[in-house]
Formats: sequence, C-alpha cells, structure tokens
Amino acid sequence: MVQKKVCMVGAPATGKTSLVQRFVKSIFSERYHSTVGVRIERKEVDAAGTPVNLVLWDIEGQERFQSVQTSYLRGAGGLIFVVDGTRGETLEQLASMREQARGAVGDVPCAVALNKADLASSWALAPEQEAALGADFPHVLKTSAKTGAGVEAMFGWLAAAMLKAPAGA
Amino acid sequence: MEPRPPASAPDAGSHVRIDAFGLSDVGKMRKENEDQFLVASLHKSMQVHHTSLDVFTAIADSQQAGAYLLVVADGVGGLGGGRSASSAAVQALASHIASAVRVYFNRDTDVEDAFLAELERGVDLSHQRIREQLGQSASRGPATTLTVVVVAWPRTYFVHVGDSRAYLFRNGALRQLTRDQTVAEELVDQGVMTEEQATRSGLKNVLTSALGGSEIKPSLGLVDLARGDALLLCTDGLTKHVTDETITAELGRGEGAEATCRRLVDDALAGGGSDNVSVIVARAVP
Repeated sequence: MVQKKVCMVGAPATGKTSLVQRFVKSIFSERYHSTVGVRIERKEVDAAGTPVNLVLWDIEGQERFQSVQTSYLRGAGGLIFVVDGTRGETLEQLASMREQARGAVGDVPCAVALNKADLASSWALAPEQEAALGADFPHVLKTSAKTGAGVEAMFGWLAAAMLKAPAGA
Repeated sequence: MEPRPPASAPDAGSHVRIDAFGLSDVGKMRKENEDQFLVASLHKSMQVHHTSLDVFTAIADSQQAGAYLLVVADGVGGLGGGRSASSAAVQALASHIASAVRVYFNRDTDVEDAFLAELERGVDLSHQRIREQLGQSASRGPATTLTVVVVAWPRTYFVHVGDSRAYLFRNGALRQLTRDQTVAEELVDQGVMTEEQATRSGLKNVLTSALGGSEIKPSLGLVDLARGDALLLCTDGLTKHVTDETITAELGRGEGAEATCRRLVDDALAGGGSDNVSVIVARAVP
C-alpha cells in the first residue's frame, strides 16, 4: 500500500492535535495538551480508489520567531499548515513557516486549515486575508476539530494531491 | 532491586555521552516488586547494562553504542502474575528490538518509518507473549504497562501503553512525553469530570490500555534531544508520591543519572512508598 508522511505545522494551540484526533479517532476534547516533539498517528484513506496509509506527524507548535524544526519534516509527502481563525497572529507566521518547510522538503502538496470555524463569533480573519491565502496556497479551507467540519475533506484532498504529485515532490 | 553496575553506559553517537541508569524498589507496602526496567545500549546487537530481569543475558558487545533502549513496565495481577507479565513484556520487546537493531543505524526516511513500525510491532508482540504465556482469558488477568524509549542521538522515539510515564527535562522545565491511558484521563478529556474529581475518584489507577489486557492502544511519538536534556521514565510508584515540582528540582540538580535515580526513589519512599517504584534517568551530558 502507498504510504505518505503528512506533517501538521503551526503555532501552538491552533488545534493540530485536535484535528488529527478528530480525523483518526473521531474524538474531540476541550482539554489542551501541549505536544512535546511529535506524536504519530496513522490512518488509511481511499484516494479516488487508491488506498493510502497516511502517517500523520503532529508536530509541537512553534512560538513566534521560532524556526520550524525542519528535521521533523524530512520525508514528508504533504503538509498541513494550521491557523487558529480566532487568533489572527497565528496567520502571521505562515509565510515564514512555509519557506522553512519548502527549504526542507521542497514543493510538496500543502493545505491550510483555518481551524476553530465553529467559533464564528470570535473569528478574527478578514475575508480579504482568507482570499489572499487562496492565492498563495493550493488548498485553503475552514475546519473545526470540534464539529468535524472540513476535516475529512482536508485530509482527503491532501491524500489525492500527494498521489498526483510527481515522485520526489 | 538494585541494578547491575556500571552506573554509566558508554557513548552514543559522536561527541555525546549518554549517562543512563535505572533503579527499582519494592516500596514500603508491597511484598513483591512487579515492576521491571531495562537500560541497554544498542550496538550492531544489544548489550544490557542494568536490568531488574532475573534472566537476561547480553547478546553481544561492540565498542560504541549507536543507540539506547530504555524500558519500564509495571505489572498488575496477583500471585506473581504481575511480575511475570512485566517480565515477559520487557523481554519480548527487547528481543524484538535486538533482532531488528540494524534499523536504528540508518537514518533514511523510509527506514525511519520502518523503525516506527517495528517499535509498534514490538509492543504488539509483547502483548501477544503475555497472553500466550499467562492466559488470554481474563479481563482481570496479569497485565502490564510498558513505556519504551529509544535514543538514537539526537532523535528519541517513544511508545507507551498504560500509565508509566516518560518525561523530558529541558532548560529547567519538565514536560511529560506520554499521556496516562487511564479511565480518569479519558473522562477528564471528555469533560465528564474535572482533574480534581478524577484524582478523588480512584479512576487514575484503572487502565484503559494494558499489555495482556483486553485492549492495547500504543501511543507513539518522537523528539530530538539537545545536549543537557534529561529523560525520565518511571512507574506510577514515583508519581503517586513525588510531585512534578520535586522531580523538576531533582533533575535540575544536574547530578549524574545514578544519583538522580536514587534521590527520586528515596523521595517516593519518603512520601509513603505505597507501590513499587522504578525510575530510569538518561542525561545527554553537555
């Protein structure tokens, strides 16, 4: 079976672990656990008829001005950048994180999850910011680890994109 | 049970010395020590330095370690079953890792994926070994926790089942690498109870995942170590009596691994010693 490593990247407390737990185990907890290093989960998905074993690397969130630990990204076939839609500052690190990731793994397929979409009343991203992201990233969507909205779609899109990507990308 | 000398294991990787030590004590209330631990260096095969296991011989020797294997296990089940379970688990896990040791020395990404799979497989084999040796019946039969760390400098892999813990001590701060697999933790995660209620409920001692039990849910992760970091593995005989603050202070003294182990076990005994206590400390000497 095809196996692909997917790295979850983003600032602390954006919901990377919650997205993975929702996707893999269909669970959600309000309780916050800060990840130390990397937690690894696996899930098999069907990408247009091809079974793909996703190995999900849930990477500890990096504080502002801290570089992404690129040693964790090595070998990734795809990336998911996670932004907390209720904290605009978590968007500011995105460009720098992407550049660091590009330096480590090249132009692999990547998506941006604008997470915590269930918190509509606290949403801090302006429509024009979201539109600008759409110009820079191939796939941007709102997700909620709490309700599950957008979660399957995000991982499903990435699995399909990784299968289509040229070898070594 | 006292570990075998020497106190310090040899170097792992270039220019980094790993000072690792393990210690186990029956405690003040129990008649038998059902914990097990193992500190081994991985060469092209495995050399055991300290262990509580009764029979576990060194497989081979070579001059320089490429990695370290650290394991603690906390058996449960009366009439010697707990000790047998923890012993079977550690031996099966270590044997599996010894047989697959070549994986550790190649840092190619594909091999790293294979290595992670081997770690999980080792846990699964340990689970099967217990069930074969000690019976498959029993929801309340012999079972054990298992917390495994492999240090292949600087990358450090960990897998665990149950509530024996692994911690990372870095820059004066203690962070828990593992999450207890207990009913209490699950209920707090689900928002059914507060942490305070969970502590009072006694459900902190009820495992949701144990080797030899009806279900295992191995949790897998990794972290890159830095010089000066320390790892602590322990059974709950330590954390029942010694707070995170005290553990932080003990690790923060910067003493050698053996001295730190002895202090931590002494702290657990002074705090009541209600359970068997096992600790492993591994320091990346700066």
